[in-house]
Amino acid sequence: MDSPQSTNFLDVHELIEQSQPRPRVGWFGYAAGVFLLVVLSSALVQARVPAAKGIVDLFSKVAMIGIMVALALITQLMVRRQREEMKQVEALEELVQLRRWQEAAMLARGLLSTPTRTPQARVQTLIFLSSILARYHRFEDAIAIHNHLLESINFDDSTAHSIRLGRAMAMLREDHLVDADRAISELRRTSQGRESAGLALVELYRDVKTGHPTEAIDRFNAALPLFQKQLGHRTGDAFALLAKAYDMRGKEAHAAAAYEKATHLTALSELNRRFPEVVSLAAKYPAAVLPGELQSGAAA
Amino acid sequence: MMSANVAISRFRRGLTLGAILNGLLLGGVFFCTLLGGAFNSASGDLLLLMILGVIWATLGYHSMKNSRLAANSPSLIAAGQFDVAEYQIEKSLKNFSIFRTSKLLSLHHLAVLRHAQRRWADAAELCAALLRQRLGSLTGLARQSRLILADSLLEMGDLNGSYQAISGLYEHRLTLAEALSLLNVQLDYQWRVNAWDQMLAGVKNKVEMAELMNTANGARSQALLALAAQRSGRGDLAAWLRRRVELLVDVNELTAARPVLKELWASSPSASPVAADDASGRGVAFDSD
Repeated sequence: MDSPQSTNFLDVHELIEQSQPRPRVGWFGYAAGVFLLVVLSSALVQARVPAAKGIVDLFSKVAMIGIMVALALITQLMVRRQREEMKQVEALEELVQLRRWQEAAMLARGLLSTPTRTPQARVQTLIFLSSILARYHRFEDAIAIHNHLLESINFDDSTAHSIRLGRAMAMLREDHLVDADRAISELRRTSQGRESAGLALVELYRDVKTGHPTEAIDRFNAALPLFQKQLGHRTGDAFALLAKAYDMRGKEAHAAAAYEKATHLTALSELNRRFPEVVSLAAKYPAAVLPGELQSGAAA
Repeated sequence: MMSANVAISRFRRGLTLGAILNGLLLGGVFFCTLLGGAFNSASGDLLLLMILGVIWATLGYHSMKNSRLAANSPSLIAAGQFDVAEYQIEKSLKNFSIFRTSKLLSLHHLAVLRHAQRRWADAAELCAALLRQRLGSLTGLARQSRLILADSLLEMGDLNGSYQAISGLYEHRLTLAEALSLLNVQLDYQWRVNAWDQMLAGVKNKVEMAELMNTANGARSQALLALAAQRSGRGDLAAWLRRRVELLVDVNELTAARPVLKELWASSPSASPVAADDASGRGVAFDSD
């Protein structure tokens, strides 16, 4: 079987097409039509065969009850299927949060290989799929999903902001620096003065990536309270980039201190996976040491 | 601001009215179709059926709009827009709905709002009222209400009530978000009953879960674990967790909310809350020269 790294495993363009929800079947219209048919045919039969009035009455009442019961059953079935789908999307969200990427990739593929029942489920699954693809360093595919979502769906401000953040980060990782700069400008424009730790982190990464360590250090100092408040343990990412910025400036004592903080908050393997630029720091500066109780893959 | 009592009585009245109206509509359908009907003609029965159908569809449409109004409130509460959320929830509770779930959800959202506003007594009262209802397929609502109830009772100092609420949750399969909330409440309960060993059981998993929480809850949980480690003589673990907390939040704010945590910084003068503040980089800017 193909691994998630392989483009055959998660063919993004195919999944985007296959997951388009089918147009809804207008069951209510059909029911109204059958109802009208029952009314007209019973009236016609009664007019032509007055002797059959009792039978026709009984038949039409049974038919009407049948229509109502069938409508209720169909609605219940549809609601149940939608709930099942939403449960799968919730399970996918949990797998992504728990960084169980392989299982998340399988589930996302399963959900998107057939038309989803609701557009919301499709959109949420695509957003999670973009995170999974970024985890497997398939940034072009992640960008394709971000672009598709932003172009085809009218999101609320905060959802659009987080998708744009993901896209800008993927562009930086893929060295599309001009596109990333444009994406960052768009983020600044659309965030309308709202404080965003995600945006500050993307800008910090851009500064490090483009060789502007002084700007990166200044940006970190200005945004640290925001990182702590909004990013929680991902503040470790910002400390890692700060360490890289100090290292670029040749300030090794500062770099070591920042690197210790980064690895105190976030596992080294995660930092190296997210930012290849900080991999070299591991050979130069000591990482925080986990206490015995938390070792063997702890602080994942 | 709607008090818990008023909200609960409105909610109960809404449920009763909805049940009566649903019963009347169903009775009307039954009457028209099976009992020979109100009129001697089939068309009279049909007309009555259609009128009942139109009434039900209209009420259903308005109830659906009401449900959508209430469904917005969790994101408003999360964004801190309490006034708008309050307005929407009040409106949703006041409006008539033939759907029972819509009323139950509105009451739950009001409990979530009161919890976010730190109005613990109101939140606890609303959750207790909700849990007394038959929730049917809304089991998720029952779990979330129990979590809010347990946390609110803890804040009110009712350890026994909180224990009862928490213990009810072990019968359920929890989502990840609920498991995180439970861990947060559980640790807050356990330090109050000096259950230090239980707090440290499976500490690796607990730390990993704390990393998934929002900053405030994650820091508080790790600080409580650090306290348990310190009380149990596991100095390395205590120091490591304490350092993490310092990197995440303002220690002064944390200890103001949970004074027991001052003990973590009081034991070593070099790591007093003020020094911890500096260590986090909040008070001292990094050198960019």
